[in-house]
Amino acid sequence: MKPLNALFFFLLVIALAACSKENDDLSGVQDIPGLGGDTWVEDSLDKWLYDSLTVPYNIEVKYKWDQFEFDVTKTLVPPKEEVVIPAMQAIMKVWIDNYIKYAGELFFKKYSPKFFILSGSASWNDNGTITLGTAEGGRKVVMYLLNEFRTKEMDGYQLGDTANVKQIFHVIEHEFGHILHQNIMYPTEFKKISVGLYTANWNNIYDSDAHQDGFVTPYAMSSENEDFVEMIATMLIEGKEGFDRIVNSVQDKTSDNGTTQAQAVAALRQKEAMVVNYYKSAYDVDFYALQKATRDSINALFY
Amino acid sequence: MRTNFYLYIFLTALCFAACKKEDDNVFKQSPDERINEVLSTYSTTLTSAEYGWKGLVYPSAISAVPFSFYFKFDTANRVQMYSDWDSSTLSVMQESSYRLKALQQPCLLFDTYNYIHILCDPDAGINGGYYGGGLLSDFEFILDGMSTDGDTIKLTGRLHGSKAVLVKATSKEAQDYYDRKRNWDFDYSSRFLTYFKKLHTGKGDYDIYINQQYKSIKIVNANVKFSAGYYFTPTGVAFDKPFTDAGETINGFEDVSWSEDNQLMTLKVNGRVVTINSDKKPYIVDSTAGSRWYNAAINAADYYYSDAGIHVDGQDDYYNFKSISGFEYLLYYPNFQSSGYDFNGIMENSYYGPAFKAKFSTSGITTFTYGGTWYTIPDYSSTTISNIVTKFTESTGYYFVQTSDYNTYDMVNVKDARSWISWQLF
Repeated sequence: MKPLNALFFFLLVIALAACSKENDDLSGVQDIPGLGGDTWVEDSLDKWLYDSLTVPYNIEVKYKWDQFEFDVTKTLVPPKEEVVIPAMQAIMKVWIDNYIKYAGELFFKKYSPKFFILSGSASWNDNGTITLGTAEGGRKVVMYLLNEFRTKEMDGYQLGDTANVKQIFHVIEHEFGHILHQNIMYPTEFKKISVGLYTANWNNIYDSDAHQDGFVTPYAMSSENEDFVEMIATMLIEGKEGFDRIVNSVQDKTSDNGTTQAQAVAALRQKEAMVVNYYKSAYDVDFYALQKATRDSINALFY
Repeated sequence: MRTNFYLYIFLTALCFAACKKEDDNVFKQSPDERINEVLSTYSTTLTSAEYGWKGLVYPSAISAVPFSFYFKFDTANRVQMYSDWDSSTLSVMQESSYRLKALQQPCLLFDTYNYIHILCDPDAGINGGYYGGGLLSDFEFILDGMSTDGDTIKLTGRLHGSKAVLVKATSKEAQDYYDRKRNWDFDYSSRFLTYFKKLHTGKGDYDIYINQQYKSIKIVNANVKFSAGYYFTPTGVAFDKPFTDAGETINGFEDVSWSEDNQLMTLKVNGRVVTINSDKKPYIVDSTAGSRWYNAAINAADYYYSDAGIHVDGQDDYYNFKSISGFEYLLYYPNFQSSGYDFNGIMENSYYGPAFKAKFSTSGITTFTYGGTWYTIPDYSSTTISNIVTKFTESTGYYFVQTSDYNTYDMVNVKDARSWISWQLF
């Protein structure tokens, strides 16, 4: 090596070494505000949530406001404290207890979303519609309009309140359905039932028009996966009778997309059968038993 | 070689520069230490106020309208609240949680639902605001500064930028809230039969204008021109800025009581009984208001409308315009179609009405002369139209009062000040 290059190398080493004489001082790390999450003085509500959901199922329920759990551009309000326990109790009765009974505790603990976020108001969209639930990554479920959550045990309950509450259950069953098919895929034949009818324009379609094309809800028309989980959610929440009512509501006419009544009914029935078979073969769950129990729980809350 | 030479110099310089180990901080403490200090100062200030805090919130959608609150913060993240939203929020204390948190700034969050969230709720059915935005108010506030004595804290909303201020309450103020002393009698000001009202404090006599919808108050005479927002307190109303005149400062009215028969409101100012009475002529007539009203529409090539109809003798929509099927509003279109006549029309499925010419006197009185009708008057509206003509053509004419910085005017009859119309530029 030429002496010149050696010197060059030497200087470079010094320059680099000079930069790291000292270890970073981490002694102030405990001063960082909010590190490790928000803290507050816990009260009986926090304890109830911890004992009822976190300890047995590792589910965290966040009812105190944290804007960053939501779309930060939306105007929302936090929930009233007095609705949190009744709402979570209802969810336990309708969703958790029934899945544990018919699919087992291990199944539920393994697949359930772990993080529930509560908002007091609905989330208003630019087109005037409202969103009542969203979910992310099979882990987090956001539930809206908790402040209007009412069951028959609560003051001021009216039959009209059932629509909101059923939507909340629907969101949970829907998201849970996604988790299930993301773990074990449903048979690809399902995707062939309504091929060609899926559309991004689903939000402009009426319920009755969706039924007429062989879909259980307009949202089911957005993609095969949504179709599958909308089937699960609707069948569970409405019960067998309710689902039959939807199938029977298909009228004797041909839809704008050219689906005849017979085709629409056949599609719905075929999807129903595939969901039932899927639950049996993938998870060894008797879907009809689960459906009956779920609907019975809902009836007990409302009627 | 020359290149290497420069490289040596560069590297040697780098060695020395790299050796500089001292940070040149502007502050002695780290950002974390400083923010913790700020949060703990605010926390101590909020929770140590023995009698709690009075709060005013100005939602961004109606930024001049104050809403009043009472807060009592404890050290376990709980806050007790009252509000002047309605009579129940003023009489039932509600507890919820709050938190101080470092977001991009030190912040105060009301993190479960309470009265302060009513203003924010995106459901317009709850607060009369916008769907999806409510009154554009906030429940997450930036702690925006504290007065040196720690008695006042300024807040700015994080999402909608609404303004709020917290002021330490006195023991009497706190006691009045918890004793559920309520007084809504100030709302009876709408029951005065005349448009004009006069405040007599014993030290001064003033015209007083009260806008209940926007909770604003105007106090005027030859020496003083005062306007402010007002809000309800347990004993009456308070102004959101002090009124000063004749060597006296007035922060609000207490012990308000209303006598329908005498058309008289009695109130207390600084412990002294004062009165508001009814009158048919103000001290100060805005002598150019009539022509301003007229010209604003001419300049904008536009017209005024009033959907509330004509108020006469204490009755809204006295001529029952709302009984006309499809009635939308009464309109006034100056110099309609450049005809030289104004069009004072009923807007329903079609439109029709009298033609007027308006004249403005230097003393501030506007008179209307009838000049026929525009379009065909349907039979079912003929009585209504003749009522309008009779009313407008009263020979004593009308006063105009500008009711906001925007083009809103009230038109009040001179004869007895018991008839008026509220106009708004379309």
